[in-house]
Amino acid sequence: MLDLLVIGAGCSGLSAALVAAQAGLRVRVIAKGLGTLHWHAGTLDVLGYLPGDTPESIPHPFAALDRLPAQHPYARLGAAQVEAAMETIVASLNRAGLDFGPSAPDSAANPAVNLLLPSPIGVARPTWRAPRAQRAGELTSPQPMLIVGFSGLRDFYPALIAEHISRAHSIAARADWLPLATITHRRDNHPVHLAQALDDPATVARLGAALKAQVDTGERIGLPAILGLERHAATLAQLEAETGASIFEIPTLPPSVPGIRLHKALVATLAQLGVRVEAGMAAIAVHQDGDVIHSVETATSSRPLRHRARAFLLATGGILGGGLQSDAHGRVWESVFDLPVSAPTTRQGWFRSEFLDPRGQPIFRGGLEVNDQFQPITPEDSTGAPLLHNVWVAGNALAHADAIRTRSVEGLAIATGVAAAHAIIASLGSPPA
Amino acid sequence: MQPNHAMQPIQWESVDQTLDHCIKCNICTSYCPVSAVTDRFPGPKYVGPQAQRFRAAGQAHSPDDSVDFCSGCRVCNEVCPAGVRIAEINARARAQIVADRGISLRNRLLGRNELLGKLGSIAPAAANLALHNPVSRLLAEKVLGIAREAPLPRWSEKGTFGDWLRKRAPHRLRVEDPAHKVVYFHGCATMYYEPFIGQAAVAVLEHNGYEVIVPPQNCCGLPMLSNGEFDAATGYHQRNVACLASFARAGFPVLGTSTSCTLTLKEEAPELLDLHDEAATQVKLATWDIFEWLRARLEAGELRTDFQPLPYTLPYHAPCQQRAHQIGKPALEILGLIPQLDLRESHARCCGIAGTYGYKTEKYRVAMDVGQELFDFVQAQGDDLEYTACDSETCRWQLEHGLQLEHGRAIPSRHPIEWLAAAYGLYDLAQRQLHPHPRGARHP
Repeated sequence: MLDLLVIGAGCSGLSAALVAAQAGLRVRVIAKGLGTLHWHAGTLDVLGYLPGDTPESIPHPFAALDRLPAQHPYARLGAAQVEAAMETIVASLNRAGLDFGPSAPDSAANPAVNLLLPSPIGVARPTWRAPRAQRAGELTSPQPMLIVGFSGLRDFYPALIAEHISRAHSIAARADWLPLATITHRRDNHPVHLAQALDDPATVARLGAALKAQVDTGERIGLPAILGLERHAATLAQLEAETGASIFEIPTLPPSVPGIRLHKALVATLAQLGVRVEAGMAAIAVHQDGDVIHSVETATSSRPLRHRARAFLLATGGILGGGLQSDAHGRVWESVFDLPVSAPTTRQGWFRSEFLDPRGQPIFRGGLEVNDQFQPITPEDSTGAPLLHNVWVAGNALAHADAIRTRSVEGLAIATGVAAAHAIIASLGSPPA
Repeated sequence: MQPNHAMQPIQWESVDQTLDHCIKCNICTSYCPVSAVTDRFPGPKYVGPQAQRFRAAGQAHSPDDSVDFCSGCRVCNEVCPAGVRIAEINARARAQIVADRGISLRNRLLGRNELLGKLGSIAPAAANLALHNPVSRLLAEKVLGIAREAPLPRWSEKGTFGDWLRKRAPHRLRVEDPAHKVVYFHGCATMYYEPFIGQAAVAVLEHNGYEVIVPPQNCCGLPMLSNGEFDAATGYHQRNVACLASFARAGFPVLGTSTSCTLTLKEEAPELLDLHDEAATQVKLATWDIFEWLRARLEAGELRTDFQPLPYTLPYHAPCQQRAHQIGKPALEILGLIPQLDLRESHARCCGIAGTYGYKTEKYRVAMDVGQELFDFVQAQGDDLEYTACDSETCRWQLEHGLQLEHGRAIPSRHPIEWLAAAYGLYDLAQRQLHPHPRGARHP
């Protein structure tokens, strides 16, 4: 029997599985489809904006956590615990070959500072840590930029990006195009196929030569995030060597190659620990005895498959990830255990009248209420008594976060995933020898 | 209870309506092994949920012919976070094209592997000689459009699986306890090309104390489903259901060694053809991939584990039709118990062959390019490999073909049930035959 069944293969589920497996638990991850990491920019955002209507981004993400409302999942953990969880996962990602850079030696004296990196349309995007391939795009540096797009690659517009950057920052940014044939002769392209093509050193050499002909001395080069998938670090190094310039990736619309790299790094690390990540397994039923869950069933091509475990982590995400479902009548429900959801009770209450209202939309603060151990509770229940004895919740299924608007998606996922994993490890005690 | 004919359109809609769950995230397109290698297939999202909005039954021209380049591997379904039945949408779109325009002689032939199996088995040596020579293969390519290099199977020259069952009948295990009886669905490939797969399965089941019943059965119909011949497939499926339903109702599990046949009985046929009557549903729920069932025995503490060590490095590829069962990889779990067997799990998406897809002249190169990921994975596992393992017959043939062509290596592939039979000391992996005097028989 498993010690822990993690339901959901996004950032929180995979992070929790990693910590639990490192502690010696027998873990399996199941997911309906491949996780939402495929939509991520590949950076680790902890906190970019405070909730409410402040338009300015946050410079020090951890130092700002104590300004969040008491119900926010970060507030339950405190800055030190959030930062420790983030460092744990960064260490694993660095070992897996994704270079998120070294940690600051003394975080008390040198509080972490958010990087400011260009978004897919060139707007500043605050993030705590970014992979090596994105860091040269730092917008606080005055170094001039050449943004290069590929004619025929949809949804990446170098002129728009360069214009946004030079307007908002003291950076001379200009745009240029290369023919897509520099990389591929395929007709219909999207970022993943281009990244796979750039796993080939000969293709990288062709791209390097074309970029070298365009770049001026002293410029750094911004490209869509397509610089290799399996051999990404080598591709980046080769391109910098051939052009003599710093290169940075700008995330694209999904499918997002930096997000896929993050997913692959976590899954590969889990595989080394003996943890299987099974996609195509949608949870459809649970078996329980009172408040103890015995097993979760997933749909198969025939009879359901039963997964027995001592503990269950719900990491199915929010509305986008599929952990929360809703209908046209304003009902919102949790998709696996049917746990009570804290959310506006009418459809009229879901949204404010302005689509881009800086205070965010109330529905995105909806989710599950938990106690300090990240176990689900009844909303408004001040006793903190868990509704289910052996179920924990992490990530975007939690209430009070509005992670997308506050730019804290990965931080929320990782910090709560790691915290839930620690609570599970403590609850199960030592694994049977 | 609604009358059956009234349920048809509702059910047809239910697969198609999953397209409304598509959020256009393109995860399917990033994992589609076919669109990764050819412009002829623009990807599951475009061809499936997007193009579906422009399709209607009986329209003069289907909006896109590229759906014919969907191999039906179902990787898109596996990775879709929104539950869109992309592969089924594509299969139905292809069937609509066939219904509107008719089907080529080649596709009709490739759908009839049972008939081909029967015909060839009349005089298998002569049939092999007639088919497997360069002149016939060139002719088949020019006249029919069957790629001359494609890994077509050879008819068994040592008799069919049916012949073996008849010869073996006096020595087969019989038990009284109905809980120790199982039904075996062998599929066409085991019947006519690889009877030793069925022999290994019977030996493993009898070793565990189960009587194996092999009722009359026919082709599962998948080759016809894949080639868009839904009407013909319906007949095949209904005949199988008629043969198997009484066993299913009596509580006997129906076990199969061919992952695509069992997937068809479980899901492909009922869902694509809308055959959801009581008998079809009983058969669907009684059908198991053999390793799925063996894993359940293991979990119940009922599986014999008297394994001999098998000191091999063994790359294992779970074929896409196995993964579509959504049962994990039970063969990996069971073979993992065999001492000294160093299993290497393939994460390649597809071998490319996809049933009869890679046999077709215009798709042969696509199939080989899709399979490259798998061929390279095996190649990377070392210079001293003796075998690979894979649950699906056409995938094993493709894997052997691809390793030979792309890496110049002759590495035979075996079904996991052959490995399990060998570990029990019942089966010779090299000769692909049961030992005449198995260990258990020598030392009762």
